[in-house]
Amino acid sequence: MLAYIQNIIVLFSINAILALTLNFIMGYAGIFSLAHAIFFGVGAYTAAYMALNVTDSLLICMLAAMVVSALLSVVLALPALRVRGEYFVAASLGLQIIGVTIFSEWKSVTGGLGGMIGIPPPVLFGYTFSSTGQFVGLSLAVLLGVLVILALLVRGSFGRSLMAIRDSESAAQAYGKYVNAVKTLSVAVSAGLAALAGGLYAFYMSFVNVEAFTLNMSILLMAMVIIGGTGTLLGPIVGAAIVMALPAALTYLPFIPSSELGTIQQIIYGLAMVILMMFRPGGLVGGRGKEKSA
Amino acid sequence: MLYLQLLINGIQTGAMYALIAAGFSLIFGMTRVFHAAHGATFTLAGFVFYECYSLLQWGLLPALLAAAIASGLFGVLLNRWVYVVIQRHEGSFFTVFAASFGAAIVVENLVAIVFGKGLVTVSSDWSRSVEMIPGLFVAPMALVAVVVAVVCFAVLHYVFTHTNLGVALRALGENPTLVDVYGLNQKTLAKYAFLIGSVLVVPAAVLTAMTSGISASMGHHIMMISIAATIVGGVGSLRGAAMAGLLFGLAENLCLAFVQPQWSEAVTFVILFLFIVFRPGGFYGRAIVS
Repeated sequence: MLAYIQNIIVLFSINAILALTLNFIMGYAGIFSLAHAIFFGVGAYTAAYMALNVTDSLLICMLAAMVVSALLSVVLALPALRVRGEYFVAASLGLQIIGVTIFSEWKSVTGGLGGMIGIPPPVLFGYTFSSTGQFVGLSLAVLLGVLVILALLVRGSFGRSLMAIRDSESAAQAYGKYVNAVKTLSVAVSAGLAALAGGLYAFYMSFVNVEAFTLNMSILLMAMVIIGGTGTLLGPIVGAAIVMALPAALTYLPFIPSSELGTIQQIIYGLAMVILMMFRPGGLVGGRGKEKSA
Repeated sequence: MLYLQLLINGIQTGAMYALIAAGFSLIFGMTRVFHAAHGATFTLAGFVFYECYSLLQWGLLPALLAAAIASGLFGVLLNRWVYVVIQRHEGSFFTVFAASFGAAIVVENLVAIVFGKGLVTVSSDWSRSVEMIPGLFVAPMALVAVVVAVVCFAVLHYVFTHTNLGVALRALGENPTLVDVYGLNQKTLAKYAFLIGSVLVVPAAVLTAMTSGISASMGHHIMMISIAATIVGGVGSLRGAAMAGLLFGLAENLCLAFVQPQWSEAVTFVILFLFIVFRPGGFYGRAIVS
């Protein structure tokens, strides 16, 4: 039972980090990305590749994951600088599809559909993280770190610039904000921090393959952010908790056949998205009448 | 010969994509609703047809009618019960998109529960390929697909240029406030846009079911193709969406001569990326840069 709870806590932390970073661009910058799972994946693959081939140092692997993911995100930011809203959804969808194809086809690096196995436990200052208990501490610490970084960014001038751009790009530009630089930077920060979650996931599972980084994962992350509430710091965490608690709660309902669990779960997310958008577009945590322009 | 074969397959797929994309483009261009559940309409139409034609044996016309009613109702009711409610209090792009996306997820999974997750095909005499010239296999269905697409577009063109409804719909896309000023009802017009747009997927869904088969998870792919085609074609331009749909169908098939099949979807999006970066306005029309 303890191991079960520890496992849930680690996975929750990973999902919460992803939801938080997605919310950073969705809620604050107004960039709706359906490709967040790709940055999660890039982080996981980079960390795994480093750990298997170069070093098992946690710091170096995580740093590499963040840098690679942040650099890649600039590719995503490129179309985002030219267009907004509906165009960007399409572009990110495209990136998601291309990313999954690359993950499963670039066999020499990602191991193809079989994935990468036997990732060694990471070492931080001579301390090896190998048991689930140790990972609970590590992942909660990373989650807290990400939360603090994002909170500082959002509260500071950078966050205010972001929200100004979200609400009116031309007004922000008129006030002398470097719209393109701020947008690119926000995407890079989001992708870099999402890569941390990827690294955690790779080390925790000691196995990565493409299954965890598909469009469904991106949709799930989006559901977490939307259900919890966009544009708030607490929202994504609540959303992650709810979305993760749902499968566990469903298993207690005896009348649902276990083969249909995944399907029923998705129906519930879908319905929740529809109903929330109709009656409470700010999400569970966000305010009711919160106006958001897009 | 391989190229010719791929070209013919490409035209067949392209004709289907053109119809689907035109439906999405029509809804998005006229009502500004980002109808991400358009892919779900496709899945729904395909499976209703399969149920009525293959399982209940109703015959072709009643089954087609049932599929058209189902998809039309789905579009109109989704608009009335979800989008209109949302637009009453804010209606930003994102809120509508999230709700539409949620609806798509619900439909896709309901279909998966009822019909299973596998591929289903409606078999007919016309879907069997015949060898036209040595090495070239063409199913009569390819011809049917092209004819159906051409007929649909001819009717659409007529409706949008020669009838009051069509002209009013185009006005709605251009300037919604002015539509009110002229005493037309925006909500009624939006209803027609959803009806026409949703029914447009029926021929595509039926023909796909008869050739390559349909599955519950196909909705995502259809949604992506229609969004991509709408952007590449230029928002608000039916002609552009149709051309872009054809382009994607051709690209998806012709690329098979050079790369492995698993890359064909990626090719579509490379085209999309190039358009977004270099020509965000698409073939025709204007970019929405807000």
